[in-house]
Amino acid sequence: MTSPLVTLTGIGKQYGETAALHDVSFDLQPGEFVALVGMSGGGKSTILRLIAQLEQPTAGTITYADPNLVTRVMFQNDRLLPWMTVLENISFASHDKVQQEKAKSALASVDLAEYADAYPSQLSGGQKQRLALARALMADPQLLLLDEPLGALDALTRRNMQQFITKICDESHLTTLLITHDVDEAARMADRVIVVKSGTNVYSAAGAKGKDAETVAKVADEVLKVILAPEGDGARA
Amino acid sequence: MDNATELAASEPRPHSFGWHRLLPWLIPVLLIGFWQVAVNAGWLNSNLLPSPWSVVQDGINLTKSGELPRNISISLFRATTGFAIGGSLGFVLGLANGLSRVMRGLFDTTIQMLRNIPHLSLIPLVIILLGIGETAKISLVSVGVMFPIYINTYHGITSVDPELLEMGKAYGLSRRALLTKIIFPGALPTILVGVRYALGVMWTTLIVAETISSNSGIGYMATNAQEFMNMDTVLLCIVIYALLGKLSDVIAKALESLCLEWQKKGRTQ
Repeated sequence: MTSPLVTLTGIGKQYGETAALHDVSFDLQPGEFVALVGMSGGGKSTILRLIAQLEQPTAGTITYADPNLVTRVMFQNDRLLPWMTVLENISFASHDKVQQEKAKSALASVDLAEYADAYPSQLSGGQKQRLALARALMADPQLLLLDEPLGALDALTRRNMQQFITKICDESHLTTLLITHDVDEAARMADRVIVVKSGTNVYSAAGAKGKDAETVAKVADEVLKVILAPEGDGARA
Repeated sequence: MDNATELAASEPRPHSFGWHRLLPWLIPVLLIGFWQVAVNAGWLNSNLLPSPWSVVQDGINLTKSGELPRNISISLFRATTGFAIGGSLGFVLGLANGLSRVMRGLFDTTIQMLRNIPHLSLIPLVIILLGIGETAKISLVSVGVMFPIYINTYHGITSVDPELLEMGKAYGLSRRALLTKIIFPGALPTILVGVRYALGVMWTTLIVAETISSNSGIGYMATNAQEFMNMDTVLLCIVIYALLGKLSDVIAKALESLCLEWQKKGRTQ
């Protein structure tokens, strides 16, 4: 096994008196697609925010293989800039020709080339999330962090987006961490599924990416059992 | 039908002549028509309320003599200079206080106290300190314009969606890029509301200042005409105020549609 891209060791996060996370330890291998799954309020998003350095842990350490690791986050809400066109949202209205050309090809890669001059408010929910994905991929990140980006989409668009993201991440061999509360989504998309419960990681198992529906359902069932088990029954990862 | 086709279909057809263009002018035209008829029929005393036509004739005479263009020019000069000074001060203070906690702590309480003083109540003080020259009138306009622009700039900047700012930081935007690509465009709709309001304050302040302490300008023309019971000129000045007010509004609207094209496009879907 190669050395991990990111390693979390004994991570804790306190907000005043409240402990959001305690003793979180796992790593992300290069090119791996990991899903963090668990119930709302379990601390999944906090882990992502710590890895993205949007917040700092109050205990433990996060080690990055490369100190200049390029990380991009795709948020639950698209966070597009409504005053910029679709193309400008990707290039951040850069006047640099190279950036503009790169933005155009990023837009083409998410099938939005014809909407380059439209504004985000003119796009559908799925198109907005594809645009947000293209923006995240613009900087050729080594690590892509997906914070429940498909939560607000309808079932059909959500399924299409799952396939779309898996394809893009596979093609570019991109290390990806997906936060989700949907166990089927986690099982279907990930190489490895980690369950986060009551502020810590309690279970880790191989995902069913690229496998048949039966295997996906089996992995999802196992994960669901761990999530729904009473406190203290989960096997430590 | 895809999105692009839907958008094209919902846009108004170019070069189409619609009654909606004339509709806003219907009430002013009817009122003026009724006024002319009332004076001609003798229902109104033409010494107290001259007919629209005699107001127009007075306007032509004063234009020929050069008095009207001279007074409009000086009023426009005072208004635009005062707006530029007060607007810039309000914008810079709003920007600084919106962006920096230290600046906010230092200035905001003082500004909020000063803001609640009716600026027209400063007229006696301004006359004593600055006389009735240009500085006095421009200062009054500046003070009147500064606060609406300050409040709206400050409010616009502090109301920018924190999630967009977080995204910008997470995507490695520099402080300058955060300001120019997220904070300023996010605050712009609110700033423009301030500009529109300030344009109204600009005319009101100038008119009052020119009426009370001046020897030139539209306000002076109206006061002077009142002393000679020259009602044609008094009414002419009122019409000019209305037209200048409308002009300001047209400029403000044009500025909004130029800067906020994205809002308009978003509404067309």
